[in-house]
Amino acid sequence: MAEVATLQQQLASAGYIAERSLAAALLLMIDLKRPLLVEGDAGVGKTEVAKALAQVRSTRLIRLQCYEGLDAHAAMYEWNYQRQLLAIKLLENDERSMALKEQDIFSERYLLKRPLLEAIGCAQPPVLLIDEVDRADEAFEAYLLELLSDFQMSIPELGTVTATTIPLVVVTSNGTRELSDALRRRCLYQYVDYPSFEKELAIVEIRAPQAAGELAGQVVQFVQSVRRMDLQKKPGIAETLDWTAALLRMGIATIAEDGAEQLLETLAALIKTRDDRTAFTREVLARIAATC
Amino acid sequence: MLITAPIPAALDPAATLRSRLTGFSGFLHANGFGVGGGDSARVLATAAQVGILDREVLRWSLKALLCGRVSEWRRFDPLFDAYFLPPNRKAFVEGAVDTPRQHAPAGAADDRGEASPAKRSKNARDEPLLAAHYGASREESLATTDFRELVNADHVRDIEALMRRFARRLKHLQLRREARALSGRRIDLPGTIRRSVERGGTPLSLAWKDRRRIRPRLVLLLDVSRSMSAYSFFYLRLARALSAELADVHSYIFHTRITAVSEALRDADPWRAQEKMHLMAAGWGGGTRIGECLRAFNRDHAARRVHSRTAVIIVSDGYDTGEPETLAEALVGLRRRARRIVWINPLATRPGWSPTSRGMQAALPHVDLLAPGADLATLEHVLPDIIETLR
Repeated sequence: MAEVATLQQQLASAGYIAERSLAAALLLMIDLKRPLLVEGDAGVGKTEVAKALAQVRSTRLIRLQCYEGLDAHAAMYEWNYQRQLLAIKLLENDERSMALKEQDIFSERYLLKRPLLEAIGCAQPPVLLIDEVDRADEAFEAYLLELLSDFQMSIPELGTVTATTIPLVVVTSNGTRELSDALRRRCLYQYVDYPSFEKELAIVEIRAPQAAGELAGQVVQFVQSVRRMDLQKKPGIAETLDWTAALLRMGIATIAEDGAEQLLETLAALIKTRDDRTAFTREVLARIAATC
Repeated sequence: MLITAPIPAALDPAATLRSRLTGFSGFLHANGFGVGGGDSARVLATAAQVGILDREVLRWSLKALLCGRVSEWRRFDPLFDAYFLPPNRKAFVEGAVDTPRQHAPAGAADDRGEASPAKRSKNARDEPLLAAHYGASREESLATTDFRELVNADHVRDIEALMRRFARRLKHLQLRREARALSGRRIDLPGTIRRSVERGGTPLSLAWKDRRRIRPRLVLLLDVSRSMSAYSFFYLRLARALSAELADVHSYIFHTRITAVSEALRDADPWRAQEKMHLMAAGWGGGTRIGECLRAFNRDHAARRVHSRTAVIIVSDGYDTGEPETLAEALVGLRRRARRIVWINPLATRPGWSPTSRGMQAALPHVDLLAPGADLATLEHVLPDIIETLR
């Protein structure tokens, strides 16, 4: 328990408020050297987990942003063809044997390291963030599985590259696609929900210290009410922080019923679709503000 | 102390502890968790790592280790309690722990010792829930919807064959996205340069790019209300066969509420799939509220499940006891996200049928295709139309 509390504290000083269960999972992940799969709605701070972890461990954060059509070349390695071609031209008048020339052309000098290869070659174990893995194709997931189980990669021209250190892998998913059971089984799992009032208040106070006090409480109360509404896109923690900044910028020091007109002007930071925006009339705002 | 079950004095306590811990993954497996053979060894390793004296740390660690998806995540805590804590001691132990669980009420840490009446009643409510986890409540849910046919062997093969054909046809649907290919319409420049390396920089053989074939995602919304009872089993079987064939299929059943059933349908054991459906549909009653269910779908699932390549297929007879305006509104919302909306109406196969019911009238302007389909034969007939619409 002491270890969990310590890590929680370290994460907090890195600007990340973690629940105890998340801190426990992170400790387990470090001990067992298994990747951690973090799921949850957009904007609940999944990516921040990896950033904070890297800061706490004072190590590098290597990020692989997944997207549809991401292939092994973009994620693992690619040969620098242009430089290789140039080298071939330059080597034409070289006296060395063919085999030596070839060895030179397919050496690490001409290898472009992409995030995955970079992550297994660091001297100090980095934090490898594989962001939004559900956006990548299933084929890529299979590549990833191979890497996550053995932490080695085969490059035909070079041979097998084995990890010098095993990175701390954080995999995030928004759940737009069902991930394979194989990937789920390989990872530890953590589901992150929208934060409770207390947790979100702590986040606002730590990330926007100027708003501390009455305003922070009101902001969080307001956002929590907004999340209970029937919206297309619920505001995440990033939106809460943006909105807090917007309020401060507008010089609004307190959220009150009669200040609804001013609040309307700051909504751009909180509400992100047209349909949701039309739901926020002056009256609705005043009603929510009255409860804060 | 964590293990509260009486331990016979003759047994080695360490061995008992080990078997108790290793038995936990089997217990989760019996409750439908996707835990595998190696997991009980991992439980032991984890317990050795984090220690067993602190119940909450063990809980969080095992939760991270053994859960694989949100549904498992949400069910883990009661199962953990049920396994490691005898029910009559649960309230007592809960109060005695120094740190309340995250969602416990603020006062939980104060009332150590004697359990409060509120907590007792909470436990009383938990009991039948756990019984349900073991699948004991078949009789009461039989009254709502008949899922028994899901395991009936007749027709299953025919349905599977039809769904295989459907899946194959879907694979031919093309969407604009290019990938490296053996031959194609456009030259892949980086690929060509790469190949030219082996010829000293002369691009003798060209690399190509071609359109890649990406299947649309399918979302099935199945009406399982009483008026649909003659057809719902057929469509559930169909959804099951389709889920086995294609990876990107998401199924939901609705009636007065809407529930995701993809996971239950994917269960390899058809009996357990049936059991899960019973539990999900248990306690539903009253008329069909299509509009409200679609609205709930838009609110809770659409953001994640429906993207620009998604075809939503609604199977319903259109008898909506809710307001038609709600239905129209929900369909407009769904249309904005989805690529296509297809409505399959079993009643439409009857001669002389016309979409005159209020629900159908409201829905008609917003769907891309209204197709009749009551059984295998009629559905096979309209399948080309459906595929054409999904294109």
